[in-house]
Amino acid sequence: MMKFLFMMIFMIPLCFMKNMFWLVQMMLFFMMFLFMNLNLNIMCFFNMSYMFYCDIISFGLILLSIWICSLMIMASESLFKLNFYFNFFLFNVIFLLIMLYLTFSVLNLLLFYFFFEASLIPTLLLIIGWGYQPERIQAGMYLLFYTLFGSLPLLMGIIYIFNDLNTMTIYFLKFFNMNMYLLYISMIFAFLVKMPMYFVHLWLPKAHVEAPVSGSMILAGIMLKLGGYGLLRVMIFLQEVNLKLNYIWIIISLVGGLFISMKCFCQVDMKSLIAYSSVAHMSMVIGGIMVMNYWGFIGSYILMISHGLCSSGMFCLANINYERLHSRSLYINSGMMNFMPSMSLWWFLLLSSNMAAPPSLNLLGEISLINSLVSWSNISMILLMMISFFSAGYSLYLYSYIQHGKYFQGLYSFYVGSSREYLLLFLHWFPLNMMILKVDFISIWF
Amino acid sequence: MNNNSNKMFFLFILFFSTLISISSNSWFGCWIGLEINLLSFIPLISNSKNLLSVETSLKYFLTQSLASINFLFMILIKFSLLKNFNMNNIISIMMNSSLLMKMGSAPFHFWFPNIVEGLSWMNNFMLMTWQKISPMILLSYYFNKNFLIFMIIMNLIIGSLGGLNQTSLRKLLAFSSINNLGWMIFSIMISENLWLFYFLIYSMMISMMISLFFLMNMYFMNQLFINNMNFFIKLNLLINFLSLGGLPPFMGFMPKWIIINFLLINKFYFLIFIFMMTSLIIIYYYIRIIYSSFMFNYFKMKWVNLLMKNNMSLINLSSFISISSMILSTFIFM
Repeated sequence: MMKFLFMMIFMIPLCFMKNMFWLVQMMLFFMMFLFMNLNLNIMCFFNMSYMFYCDIISFGLILLSIWICSLMIMASESLFKLNFYFNFFLFNVIFLLIMLYLTFSVLNLLLFYFFFEASLIPTLLLIIGWGYQPERIQAGMYLLFYTLFGSLPLLMGIIYIFNDLNTMTIYFLKFFNMNMYLLYISMIFAFLVKMPMYFVHLWLPKAHVEAPVSGSMILAGIMLKLGGYGLLRVMIFLQEVNLKLNYIWIIISLVGGLFISMKCFCQVDMKSLIAYSSVAHMSMVIGGIMVMNYWGFIGSYILMISHGLCSSGMFCLANINYERLHSRSLYINSGMMNFMPSMSLWWFLLLSSNMAAPPSLNLLGEISLINSLVSWSNISMILLMMISFFSAGYSLYLYSYIQHGKYFQGLYSFYVGSSREYLLLFLHWFPLNMMILKVDFISIWF
Repeated sequence: MNNNSNKMFFLFILFFSTLISISSNSWFGCWIGLEINLLSFIPLISNSKNLLSVETSLKYFLTQSLASINFLFMILIKFSLLKNFNMNNIISIMMNSSLLMKMGSAPFHFWFPNIVEGLSWMNNFMLMTWQKISPMILLSYYFNKNFLIFMIIMNLIIGSLGGLNQTSLRKLLAFSSINNLGWMIFSIMISENLWLFYFLIYSMMISMMISLFFLMNMYFMNQLFINNMNFFIKLNLLINFLSLGGLPPFMGFMPKWIIINFLLINKFYFLIFIFMMTSLIIIYYYIRIIYSSFMFNYFKMKWVNLLMKNNMSLINLSSFISISSMILSTFIFM
């Protein structure tokens, strides 16, 4: 486990040498391959070394983060071509990957918090440094302050736990019961803001719209899943309070997910639509974790992985359009099937996965979540039905608006997708639709 | 009158006076140290290029001597009237108040942002770091816990809210210094070692920032956007301000983390909430200062030529330490 950390640290000097842009990306793919071949044991923590570990959740999320980081570099070729500080960009990506890797793999809860906060700084630098509009400053401030407002009470909670239990090892937390209401709120609020839950979700559309493609990919791909991962770790020692109070978060997130799905229909900005659809999916994930049954955890974990791949792919597609037309607006991006029919295939594949059509991994996640939420309460059937229906609705709306119809008359010429872009989208779609053939890697925990 | 040996003489007496104050056996020795401290700082302020230097030295003299007289009076009353060691009385409150006024802590802070406008960056550095040592240590000898907790809350709130409307960099650092005084007063209530740790790291961060501003000759926020800073200066500025705000993974997080640990051990739950929320406000106005270092291409003026006076290798090294020390230290101790 430490060997991957050292591999990433020593990739940092490589970022600053000349003409090493694609080499860094290849090294990240290589590291992904090495990491995939680690032993995968269920029911326990494996690969433990000095302060690192892996278990099923960490393994999958680290794989996802390495994958998305390497695809981020592949998607940002325009930075290399235009020579826009790509050295520092590579350094940012590798630094972010190191922080995410450490977040998912340290054994100590306080170090988890430390790297969780530390991963915000390169994200902020990515959004404000390489974004396109002047509103990105405000977006960066919203991102930083929403997350910090939630996570400072988390720090207080973690240190309180340390003073009480004299241990911070995540593995040992399941033997304790800390059933205090204030501790519960302070521990989970940070993750709810990060997920994001409905009432504290305002930072996400702003940050996604203003971010460059790499920033959007990493935000949608992994940063939201940090919240889910934290919730999965922290629920264990708060079980009694969970049983009493979780219904609040389930209700807020499900009803909020319904409102957000309806709001997706009103969006004019492509990226804003995809961002709101992220919030709607994550609302189901929060519901699944909070019901605290096994299918709920499985469904939310599967939906986290599949949403990471799917949303990241959709942001790549939105960026492919943006690089050609320099606009994210739906009015300008219509009738694309006339110009880029092959790209229309990829829009369809990724949007159909977004609406949880078979054979995508989203389908399995949503089915598991529907099962677990309905088993918790029959009334949630109505909300889940509406959320799933609307997610199909806005995915089809986006697809049809962009691809079909008459094109915008003010377009200049541009070329159909390059091989790099097709490869990028293929690498997003392939795990998403092929992993459903061997789901026991991600759905059997014990 | 820059860089001459007169100032070096007074600087030497300044250092010596602090040492007298903190290592004396009797309260009179402490008072003597404080008085010599005051007297030797005044000649350091004089600078013919700054229009406010006369006003500054007068204000500094008046406030500090008022505090010293108060301190002397309370010492004498304590000697003559109080023969016990109980710290929960009005005399300890008065002594603490006079020491707080010497430091520039709220609610006696009004002179502090006023006079930083009249001081050069190096004098500011002395005022914000060295001048706080002897009042702090004297505070730890005879403090009134309830009174000091109230003062901490006032420090935190005034330090965070006062800096929101400022554009002068010196005043911003003054308000941030008032806020950090809140953290430092709490740490000195726990242990002197803890205060020393916080103080050393705080002084290191302030020194990096002030030397950066001194080399670039910058005094106001709008100057940050006009000149053409090269990339490494901007990165340094970014790292230093985020570190001062207490964000992980920088070194400024560590003292705040340890103080939060002690706050929770001693069950100060309301106080820690105020610590956290004011620290968020402080981070807000730090980030306002470093907007220019987040954005790579902004509107630059071609006729402004930034000449650095010295080389910056020391500052670069210290910024590197600021990033990596936090991460490396977690690997060692955990």
